[in-house]
Amino acid sequence: MTANTIGQNPGKLRQQFLKAIETLALLLIIAFIVLPILWLAITAIKPQEKAYSTTLVFMPTLENFEIIFSDTSVIINEGTDRERGEVGRKMIPNVINSVIVSGATILVAIPLATLAAYAFSRYQFLGNGLLLIWILTTQFIPAIVVAIPFFTLFRTVEVFGKPLLGTQLGLIIVNMSIVLPYAIWMIKGFVDALPGEIEEAAFVDGCNDFQILFFISLPLIRPGVLVASVFAFIMSWNEFLFALIIGRETRTMQVALTTTSGARGVMWEQMAAAGLVVMVPIFFLSMFIRKNVVDGLTMGAVK
Amino acid sequence: MRKKRWVPWVLVGPALLIIVLTTIYPLLAALYFSFHKYNLRRPPQFAIQIGENGVHIDWSLLSLNNYALAFSDSRFINSLNVTFWFTVISVALSVIIGLFIAVVVQKGGRLHTLTKVLLIFPFAVSPALKGYSWRFMLNENYGIYDLLIDRLIVGPVNLLLSLINALPLVEIPLISESIVWLGDKFWALFMLAMSETWGWAPLIALMFVGALGSIDEQIYEAARIDGANRLQIFFRVTLPLLRSVILIVTMLKTIFSLKMFDQVVTMTGGGPVRATQTINYYIHQIGFVRSLDIGYASAMSYILVVVLTICAALYVSLVLNRE
Repeated sequence: MTANTIGQNPGKLRQQFLKAIETLALLLIIAFIVLPILWLAITAIKPQEKAYSTTLVFMPTLENFEIIFSDTSVIINEGTDRERGEVGRKMIPNVINSVIVSGATILVAIPLATLAAYAFSRYQFLGNGLLLIWILTTQFIPAIVVAIPFFTLFRTVEVFGKPLLGTQLGLIIVNMSIVLPYAIWMIKGFVDALPGEIEEAAFVDGCNDFQILFFISLPLIRPGVLVASVFAFIMSWNEFLFALIIGRETRTMQVALTTTSGARGVMWEQMAAAGLVVMVPIFFLSMFIRKNVVDGLTMGAVK
Repeated sequence: MRKKRWVPWVLVGPALLIIVLTTIYPLLAALYFSFHKYNLRRPPQFAIQIGENGVHIDWSLLSLNNYALAFSDSRFINSLNVTFWFTVISVALSVIIGLFIAVVVQKGGRLHTLTKVLLIFPFAVSPALKGYSWRFMLNENYGIYDLLIDRLIVGPVNLLLSLINALPLVEIPLISESIVWLGDKFWALFMLAMSETWGWAPLIALMFVGALGSIDEQIYEAARIDGANRLQIFFRVTLPLLRSVILIVTMLKTIFSLKMFDQVVTMTGGGPVRATQTINYYIHQIGFVRSLDIGYASAMSYILVVVLTICAALYVSLVLNRE
């Protein structure tokens, strides 16, 4: 008994030491993850004169948000050492652009992807396996290759007397190249997980293919379709290269971030405020799809 | 069960049509452009001409000049180099740190669970914003990372060095506290890879957490009974069991790293002195910012397509072999 206790004591100390190391590691990981986001949030509510320091002593303010959303040019800090000159970022149209482009992209892509995913999951047809893999590989095409021909095409193709280049419609079309294949794979995963017996029963009861699809299967895979929609929305919301090359003056928020830099460098307090506007909606959406992120990023390859 | 053969085609058709139009069309068009002299400043002359007498092909307009140009263009070679090192550093750091995070958070406990929830955070931050926030935090005058690195790493190291220097044996120069991270060729590329790692390591950790959770506890038990210590268990049991997942994740991250573009624009602008000009960034510069040479940009992007096709083939075969 005594020998046992003596033998355990160093072991217990070792355990505690390991536990402390583990806690330290966890805190480090948390700091690593949270710090950039936290610092962005802090900078966004800092008054301008404090934004260019690492100080944490300041009066929180919303003036940076006022500036980026104001649609008239304002002069701030005129004549001081940090003269910023004329700003007035007019972010509201950019927010609207982002919402319209991302919203329309999923409104078109998700229904089409759902139908296709259902077919891939439930039917055997010529080359369906190969087709599916081919759809997967389209995700590995570098975006710049898609952007170049669409840029030259959209310069000449006109819709309503305006070239498609630099329009929301043009951007929505190009976004299909990344969102649609992705959504098909995601939704197919959800259809695959649905047992086929209910559909069999409906078939025996005399439902035709489309009745089964619309009245039996679709209601059941609705949660999965919703998750895929959220993913697709985040994808197009965060998309930058197409927005820069095809969207041009029709700026989405991602591109609008770059307008916070002027002749005197980046106006960080405004960038931070605009950054929060970009990030916060996606943050809430990503909490909603937390459980599906791994499947979503790897298209189910890592389980 | 289903008899009607046309039904799947009706369902797949519209999506397939749009995918073909938005991916196959640009792939073919870019390949076609890459054989031409095509600058945005001048109306292009294409080899395939559709006239009154039907289709006519002017072979003299086709050439491999753009590809030849690429391999004699030192800036393109530089961009290959930059992309290679960016990919190597960011993939290695993301996978290793991701694995580390996964192993640490895997077990139960309140702090573990909190960390697991936080892992999703970077997913909400767009790559463009990632670049800006890192650039801000690395600023040498008011960047929080710059400050932390100075205080937590450079400070103690220098203190140690000056203690050693106090002994009249050797004279080791102290580390400069004024490294301009994004102004230095090596550190700019490294920090670009770090910003990518910040975004991906937590997500990769999430992938590994799932895989770790599916390892049977009895295997660990058996290893412990056989007298293996923690490190031995990790390297001899856990790692081999995760091998296929690690391979898939590494391949996937490699593909994402090769496609990276956004942060270069918002974080470094390709600088200093082209030290962070990745292929994507250089193509964008040539095609849309500087020379507006679409033919050359297309040729270079096709070289990238070839590389990515190889990676995609590897990835697909890895995924298929696993099942």
